[in-house]
Amino acid sequence: MSTVDYTRELSVLEAKPALRELDDLISKPIETKPNKKFYIALSITLSMLSLLVIGLGLTFYFGIGMWGNNNPVGWAFDIVNFVFWVGIGHAGTLISAILFLFRQKWRTGIARFAEGMTIFAVMTAGLFPLIHLGRPWLAGYLFPYPSQNSIWVNFTSPLLWDVFAVSTYFTVSLIFWYVGLVPDFATLREKTNHKFKKIIYSVFSLGWRFSNRHWQNYEMVYLILAGFATPLVLSVHTIVSFDFAVSIIPGWHTTIFPPYFVAGAVFSGFAMVQNVLIIVRKIFNYEHIITLDTLEKMNKVILLTGSMVGYGYAMEFFIAWYSGVEAEQFTFLNRALGPYAWAFWIMISCNVLLPQLFWIKKNRRTIPVMFAIAVFINVGMWFERFVIIVTSLSRDFLPSSWAYYKPTLVDGMILIGSFGFFFTWILLFVKALPVVSMAEVKAVVDGAQPSHKEL
Amino acid sequence: MSDSLNSSDKKELWKSLQDYNNDPESLKFKHNEFLEEVTEKFDPEKISGISRRKFLALLSASAALTATACTNYRNKGEIIPYNNRPEEVFPGTANYYASTCNGCGQACGILIKTREGRPIKIDGNPDHPINQGKICAKGQAGILNLYDPERLHNPLYNSKIVSWKKIDDEIIPSLNETLTNGNEIAVVTGLITSPTTKKVLDDFVVKYPNTKIYSHTLLNDEQRRNAWYECYGTYDYPAVKFDEANIILALDADFLGNEGNYIENMRKYAAKREVVGKTDFNRLYVAEGRMSTTGMMADYRISLSPTKQYQFVMTLINELIKNGSAFSLDASARSKVEKFQSSFLNSSEKEKISHLINDLNANRGKAIIYAGDTLPKEVHISVNLLNEVLGNIELYDYSSASKSLVKQSTQQEVSKLVDSMKNGKVGVVVQFDCNPVFSLPEDYGYLSALKKVKTVISLTEAENESSAAGNYTLPINHPFESWGDANVRSGVYSLQQPVISPIFNTRQKESILLTWISGDSNSYQENFYHQYLMNNFNATIYTKKNPLADTKTFWYSALNDGVVLFNELSQRAKFNLNAFSASKEISSVTDYTVHLTESYFIGDGKFSNNGWLQETPHPVSKVTWDNYASISPKLAKQLSVEMNDVVEVKVNGKSLTLPVLVQPGVDHNTINIEFGYGRTVVGNVGKDIGFNAITLMSKNYSSSPFIYENVSIKKVNGTHKLASTQEHHSLDDTFVKDIHRTRKIIQEGTVEKYKKESNFLHEGKEKLFSITNEHQYTGHKWAMAIDLNKCTSCGGCVTACNVENNVPVVGKDQVLNGREMQWMRIDRYYSGTPDEPIISNQPMLCQHCDNAPCENVCPVNATNHSPDGLNQMVYNRCVGTRYCSNNCPYKVRRFNFFNFRDHFADAYYENDLTSLVHNPEVTVRSRGVMEKCTFCVQRIMEARSNAIRDGKELKGTDVVTACQQACPTTAITFGDANDPDSLVSKLREHDLSYHVLEELNVKPNVTYIAKLRNTHHSQEIL
Repeated sequence: MSTVDYTRELSVLEAKPALRELDDLISKPIETKPNKKFYIALSITLSMLSLLVIGLGLTFYFGIGMWGNNNPVGWAFDIVNFVFWVGIGHAGTLISAILFLFRQKWRTGIARFAEGMTIFAVMTAGLFPLIHLGRPWLAGYLFPYPSQNSIWVNFTSPLLWDVFAVSTYFTVSLIFWYVGLVPDFATLREKTNHKFKKIIYSVFSLGWRFSNRHWQNYEMVYLILAGFATPLVLSVHTIVSFDFAVSIIPGWHTTIFPPYFVAGAVFSGFAMVQNVLIIVRKIFNYEHIITLDTLEKMNKVILLTGSMVGYGYAMEFFIAWYSGVEAEQFTFLNRALGPYAWAFWIMISCNVLLPQLFWIKKNRRTIPVMFAIAVFINVGMWFERFVIIVTSLSRDFLPSSWAYYKPTLVDGMILIGSFGFFFTWILLFVKALPVVSMAEVKAVVDGAQPSHKEL
Repeated sequence: MSDSLNSSDKKELWKSLQDYNNDPESLKFKHNEFLEEVTEKFDPEKISGISRRKFLALLSASAALTATACTNYRNKGEIIPYNNRPEEVFPGTANYYASTCNGCGQACGILIKTREGRPIKIDGNPDHPINQGKICAKGQAGILNLYDPERLHNPLYNSKIVSWKKIDDEIIPSLNETLTNGNEIAVVTGLITSPTTKKVLDDFVVKYPNTKIYSHTLLNDEQRRNAWYECYGTYDYPAVKFDEANIILALDADFLGNEGNYIENMRKYAAKREVVGKTDFNRLYVAEGRMSTTGMMADYRISLSPTKQYQFVMTLINELIKNGSAFSLDASARSKVEKFQSSFLNSSEKEKISHLINDLNANRGKAIIYAGDTLPKEVHISVNLLNEVLGNIELYDYSSASKSLVKQSTQQEVSKLVDSMKNGKVGVVVQFDCNPVFSLPEDYGYLSALKKVKTVISLTEAENESSAAGNYTLPINHPFESWGDANVRSGVYSLQQPVISPIFNTRQKESILLTWISGDSNSYQENFYHQYLMNNFNATIYTKKNPLADTKTFWYSALNDGVVLFNELSQRAKFNLNAFSASKEISSVTDYTVHLTESYFIGDGKFSNNGWLQETPHPVSKVTWDNYASISPKLAKQLSVEMNDVVEVKVNGKSLTLPVLVQPGVDHNTINIEFGYGRTVVGNVGKDIGFNAITLMSKNYSSSPFIYENVSIKKVNGTHKLASTQEHHSLDDTFVKDIHRTRKIIQEGTVEKYKKESNFLHEGKEKLFSITNEHQYTGHKWAMAIDLNKCTSCGGCVTACNVENNVPVVGKDQVLNGREMQWMRIDRYYSGTPDEPIISNQPMLCQHCDNAPCENVCPVNATNHSPDGLNQMVYNRCVGTRYCSNNCPYKVRRFNFFNFRDHFADAYYENDLTSLVHNPEVTVRSRGVMEKCTFCVQRIMEARSNAIRDGKELKGTDVVTACQQACPTTAITFGDANDPDSLVSKLREHDLSYHVLEELNVKPNVTYIAKLRNTHHSQEIL
């Protein structure tokens, strides 16, 4: 084997595109009219979205009874979907904030898209706490407002912490995303001849003139926001995990949940980003911007977080045994052997076994393989939440109230519909905004960096 | 008036001399009543800048605004206040009326609670000596039948509405016509419990001498009665003093479940299951083929096919006479007995049987052997002999004998009736508040014969199979709209009074007959039967009792009490050994046997249209809305069927296809099916619910109409989902087996162990401490204690809670989805082996934990804690996250997945009539809201306001929860845990007390008293 110089910084972009070329390439989808393929894709996602609308309509009209939820299983697809989508929303901020702070240049090609995805995923996730309510029209009670009855929200409830955590996360992510977009809006403003577009871009670019001072302030704001967003990446899913960890139900009441949920969220988020980017880079010819190297790095993160998740699973079993609590032990055995064993083994094979293929470099760099693995990971991560929520509830303390949960058609409609909602936003995003940060990419083109170093 | 100036007439009334003289100055004053300066100069326009027009406009605008602000867009219907408040009715205050229950033949005394003139709850009448303030689930849920919108509203002739007058005008001539034709008038009745109804029937026979009265009830005690008659010469058999028996052997007798007056039996049985004070337990042996409520309670349970009961009893007699006999048997009887050698003593049950024989020997005179109503007469005769042999007749209570007013018609009588119907010899059939088309076995051919009868009149509350086959359908009053009386036990006469005027165009059933007896359709009056009843009361009860009071006072006091007691000791007769010697022997069979028993909750089908009862889980299987073939695990394995699979049961060419329930403990050859289900002509609720087991019955049974041998059973294609409120885990699945024991949900011991070391339950138990400063309850602290020694799983508390707390019926589909709404449930756990299960029952309701895990997770504070220790649920605040339910370790919270009032059976519930059943003190919950047991907070509040009104301190005993009130065995105690003298705080400190899931430290306020099993060994069962 030849020795490889690991200290050498690899170039982020392949080839060495001219800066103007990059601008043109990245803004091309925005400047051209959508083609037929786009409309086909949009019609598919809109049809899925209409399932959501119908499903919600039925739910609002008749009640939660339209779902499969029953007495021990008070939460099922509703909260499974919520946690799943919040998890998906984790990759974006991680990529844009944490990797930014760690000066990981390879993030530039994917950061914008990942951030956008975060916002749409959190929006999708945000639907579920509202629609899972028995009386969604009273959702306002969840917010601390000065009520005539002097009733305050219950600050000891993790569900309330969720409200704060998710809304904070959404707000910060949105601002972070927008701040990053400001220089790009200015670029677009410069490029366009369309009067109407020009006004819009002018408004959103906030008078950006590419001046040195602007850049300086921008970098500082971006850094501060990255600092803000970084703890949020960890806190949001920690707090989501508190919904379970703070309760007393065996299988929920687990101290390992916060790190394990965060790892799982990053895991599924990266898988989703990787999946969608593979399509985007293909369609928009961004192969040299979102390079195979980048994808490989993402796969490494997937492998790492996947192994963390696998460790979490193992630890849960170990602690259940070690604690000596019979109910706890039963819950975990029940996961693996009970009526929902099928869900558990789907979860294990998708989340723990399949990602191990990424130890092999060839798999990490072969697009169809990594694509398939990432799809399975998302399936597996959805099932992880299903296993945690549904199996724990369906067989808790008193055997007399155990019951098997079966989803209904409406549950399925809402699940599919949530994907429709998410992908509709994604489609609108790719045609409305630059999915790669033009400003940042230009900064990582070979030669763009100051090279005062002595060679 | 104006010309008063000119009038010079002398005034009669004058104010002053000027006035008298018509002084012009005074006249001027008179015209201007108000002093000048006020009237003359008053100009509203000067006072305010608002013009009159504008003022009026503003006034109307503000009035309109106020009116708009005060209105609610929701239509609340009309509220009509009383013009004149009726006497006794205080809005907001309940009135109670004593009456008599008509749910079954036991005629228990009831108290009907009414609010603003509408009955809302039924409780037992505490003055009634038999049921003593308790009433079963059926009796309590009967209130829903009153508000059943599917009751008949008007008299019908061939399904067309006609007037009562027209009906009477047609029927009276046709009754007379049969007289002239010499045809028969057949009056078919159900069980008659009322002496006055019987008198009406007798009067009817006098008026129309060609009338014959037939009586038929599906489940009856005829076998017992006939046996008693043969043995002792009277049909009136005495009650049993279960409360004095040390040993009880129940032979397929569900005396704690649904046979005899089980309310009375349960109370008496529980008297010897008391753990406060001295522990003097009885020991219950049960030998049965099915798994009954009584079987669940057994200390020793022997699974025995009903066809082997005869052999079993004879073997016992044979064994026991060896140690002497209190009754001398002659040689023939002795030889009859001695044929039964001890084959049972070598069976797998030999240990239990030898215990039984030793116990019966040791407790001669203090034991009772009690055979079930469904067993053949011959078994009853042998049992009577066995009790004589052991001297157990001391436990017969002759002062309280079960009376028979109208004897059940025999098979021959009914067959003869059907024959004469077929031959056109019957002119009129009157189906008097009964349903013979449904309840008579098909091979009588009653239905086809009915078609040959010209006039078929059905007196019924709601359309049924029998009324649909006839032409006149006459709606009768619900019992709560009716007058009546009952005398089913010697020395106890009870009255029934209406508590609401008839809701529909119905008549009292006896009044209809009285009109026909009078022969004049115009003679009907609403108080027809009322008068008749009073007259009969005065003629019989008044004279018998001969009180000092006058008739009217005595009548009102009797009505107030609901019951009149007098001494009526039936004579103790000598056992007639000939009855035993002459009785035929029953050979035991080894093939499959069908054992038909009555449904626990819907009775003989009478309560089919009652959603509360349909949805009350079966005491053993927890199945709702269905019946099934209950078979042993072994038979299930043979047939390779599981729960919900469908089998075909064939008896003598008759077959029934129904689902299977694998019931641990059932005898391998016994197939137990409950009848009462499978009604076809019934309201929306009961229609097509279950399978009609009566199709298997035959008029030509071999020994008992409820037991059929030579049965074939085979699996057929298809499944039928049974809606059980508890999952059925197979007993031998080691994965889930005995979790209730390892988790200490059920903690039990034996009497022996308890006597040796009373504190065995708490030995070595860690004391849990709190890491925070916990809230101190200084005032009242509400708490409940449930004695598992006494709970028979009868379901009375569940129904009481449903009625009191407006718990909705959700329907079978929602029970299948696990969404039943009952706030109280009775959990059933199996231990042991599938063949010999040990069953533990546990009523489960909100535990009102001090550290309630539901409270801290609610994001909107909708569930919180009251200063007196209640876990409260604020419906208005609840948004329905269901987090509280998820975090409840007892899973006692119930979520309104739908608006169950309009979801169930196509909004059957959502009508003006049925909504009258609601308790106005309890909020009716909407969809999307969580609910749960409140410890009957409305009753606590009522007791509190009464205490404040009376200036007294509120005592824990002032509050009685609905479940506590209903519990026939007083297993439930409620009160103030901070009152050291209260029973509940004593029970909390009792050696046998424990909390479910103690180690979670949620500090529940429902304390369970561990069950003690009275076995011979001291080792713990659980």
